[in-house]
Amino acid sequence: MKRLQMGFTALATAAGVVLAGLGTPAPAAAKDIVINMAAPDWLPTRFMQDEFNRTYKAKSGNNVKLVIDFIPWPSYYQRVAASLSSGEKKYQMLVTDSQWLGDFVEGGHYLKLNKYIDKDPELKAMLDDMHQVIKDTSSSYPYKSNNYYGFPQFPDNLVTYYRKDLFCNDRERDAFKAKYHKTLPCYYAEWQNVDWDTWGDIGEFFHRKKGDKLGDGVADDDFYGIAFQAGKGYDFSSMQINSLIWEAGGDIWDETSTKPAAGVVNSPIAVKALERYLDLLKWAPPVAKTGQMDIFVIQDLYMQGKVAAIVDWVGLAGPVIDPKVSKVADKSWFAQPPGWRKPDGSINRFMNIGGQPFVLTTWNSPEVVHEALEIVKWWLSKPVQINFVKHGGESGMLSVLQDPEYLTWAPWTRAFSDNYQWQKDIWHIPEFFPMLTQQQEQFDKAITGQISAKQALDAVAAFQDKLLKEDGRIK
Amino acid sequence: MTPRTETPPATFTPGRTRPSARGFLGWVMAPQRRGPLLIAPAIATLVVVNIFPLMWSYGLSFFHYNAKRIAVPPHWRGFGNYVDLLSDSDVWGRFQNTAVIVIGSVAVQLVVGFLLALLFSREFPLRRYLLMLVLAPMMLSLSAVGVFFKLFYEPTLGFIPRLVQEFTGQPFVILDTPVKANVAIICADAWMWSPFVMLLVLAGLVSVPKYLYEAAEIDRASAWRRFRTITFPYIRSLLLLALLFRTIETFKIFDVPYVLTEGGPGTSTETISVYLFRVAFNYFQTGRASALGYIVLFGVIVLTSLYLYAIQVRRETEGPSR
Repeated sequence: MKRLQMGFTALATAAGVVLAGLGTPAPAAAKDIVINMAAPDWLPTRFMQDEFNRTYKAKSGNNVKLVIDFIPWPSYYQRVAASLSSGEKKYQMLVTDSQWLGDFVEGGHYLKLNKYIDKDPELKAMLDDMHQVIKDTSSSYPYKSNNYYGFPQFPDNLVTYYRKDLFCNDRERDAFKAKYHKTLPCYYAEWQNVDWDTWGDIGEFFHRKKGDKLGDGVADDDFYGIAFQAGKGYDFSSMQINSLIWEAGGDIWDETSTKPAAGVVNSPIAVKALERYLDLLKWAPPVAKTGQMDIFVIQDLYMQGKVAAIVDWVGLAGPVIDPKVSKVADKSWFAQPPGWRKPDGSINRFMNIGGQPFVLTTWNSPEVVHEALEIVKWWLSKPVQINFVKHGGESGMLSVLQDPEYLTWAPWTRAFSDNYQWQKDIWHIPEFFPMLTQQQEQFDKAITGQISAKQALDAVAAFQDKLLKEDGRIK
Repeated sequence: MTPRTETPPATFTPGRTRPSARGFLGWVMAPQRRGPLLIAPAIATLVVVNIFPLMWSYGLSFFHYNAKRIAVPPHWRGFGNYVDLLSDSDVWGRFQNTAVIVIGSVAVQLVVGFLLALLFSREFPLRRYLLMLVLAPMMLSLSAVGVFFKLFYEPTLGFIPRLVQEFTGQPFVILDTPVKANVAIICADAWMWSPFVMLLVLAGLVSVPKYLYEAAEIDRASAWRRFRTITFPYIRSLLLLALLFRTIETFKIFDVPYVLTEGGPGTSTETISVYLFRVAFNYFQTGRASALGYIVLFGVIVLTSLYLYAIQVRRETEGPSR
């Protein structure tokens, strides 16, 4: 009897297995899909690769692999441009600077996403959840249109990194007050009252020689008060100079109009703003005089404990609070960057937005497009975005920015989210890179003292008008 | 009727060619065709990666064309790109920058290389090891040399400014003015290539017969006289080769200024090769960049002709024995 029972049990089990197999439709054979993505080599993209390898599983059942080609920032544009224009079709996705959108959309390389967004409620919800600033600057082309090409891989903006051990030191605060009749900013609210004049005062105040008193100790080397972008490479000086020009009430050439650059780009207000920027450089470390004080140089000088405060991207803040690579990891706080004080006493704090969307390329098969969009959805999902913010990234999703705990996830989150209201962007048209290269060249001449602010902006305006006229963008 | 002779079926015999190999393969493998066959892959590679792009870019140099706008057809300009370039003060400015670096760097290389060769032509302890050390910069990648010197020159953390500051007490900034930036590039390039000149000159020095010096010593000739009448004639032609070879190479200099100064301050160290890169890959003026490439190529051809002429003169004046 027992043997019979065992026989029935075995039979039932076998039948169950067979039925279970019949009940579930046999999955199509899982395919191996490799998505190659070009990306700048830094923390936000390294984190994405690690997180993908650690957690991603395609819903389709396919074996999807994301292979990020990490390219150094200074040569990133040239590498991407060379790949796209050569027709090699190497990348299925790209992390792209917002200003490249026009260049590569009109070149036929970036896939317009509207039809996919319209068909997919999940993507539509994500687009609705994106901060309007991100939609305008990083996702759409033409600028502020409803033609969507990208989703934010990493939204970024400029913040002040500062040494709390110095700025909150009572002796230093008293000395600063006595000398400038102003409060040396220590707390976040105090930094919100810092304009470029005070920034200059901070630069002068903290400029110490080796052996001078510094905080509660003595400077073991020459020490500098302030540093900010002043580099010839890529867009380094333009990103900071644009901020001052906008804050002062000036403007760059408006890509939505057909009016010439002359008279706007080289307006007296813009010249005054550039002169203010150049004047502040005298308090920066000596590398400023070479025109090579780029975002990585100032980050490094700050981490080496050579500068009291810098203005730099949030994307570079992660290593600053890592004690393995930074001497000031436990001494750093973050605040909004300085601004331009208006006659009524309030402060204009406009700045050039940073960060990058990621886009899909036009030569992908429907299957690859599907899997790439699934990666987009995975990356923008709230848990992944929160984890990203906690590990040195940032988010452009309102659901994350408005989370009650958001401010506790990283020391720069408050400054980052407060900055959103002040963001503007450089041009997105295909001519942006020649315009940027020439502008960087002229700014570099001004930074290294070869020409005046007015000469630099006059040359920029003349070049832009010639180029834009040739291309039919202005009358 | 003559009885028909049957040809026996072909069979393979070791040491004999298989009858089937007498077809196309046999024809191809015939001894008189083996030479061309062996170099065919090299020729094909040369055509694909060198000759074809060269011809293609020559064609492009007569068009207004942007490589990023493949959909926009090239627009014929004739010699317009060449005329524009040759009348553009920016281009001549970059040629001037290049000339400053070429003259400065090659002069330093010749002097330092020559002195090093004199030093290493004598025997002294650890000579072999020191020689290897001196030759090391020549083996490095050009970009790596640019990065090394960028770090050496960095005003706050760099080795050289720190060293100077120890003596002066003031921060020392090397790359802040056009003159100093040019000197900095010349130093980096000369550091890398002086050993090359040294090698050439050393080859000349070691070939001087010892008995000539012995005879000169017996005649009580001064050191200067020995150098002028014995040593220098042996190395003169090699020095000329070094001069021309290094001039051609330095004329094309790209990596060191691009990495070290990015052409700055402003455009004061932007050589013609760096400018060419910017025109091609920043401004994406592909037609114009192609034309500029050919102008640079013309310059290199002129220098190369001088180089070949120098070799010819050397052969004629010194004969085949040396």
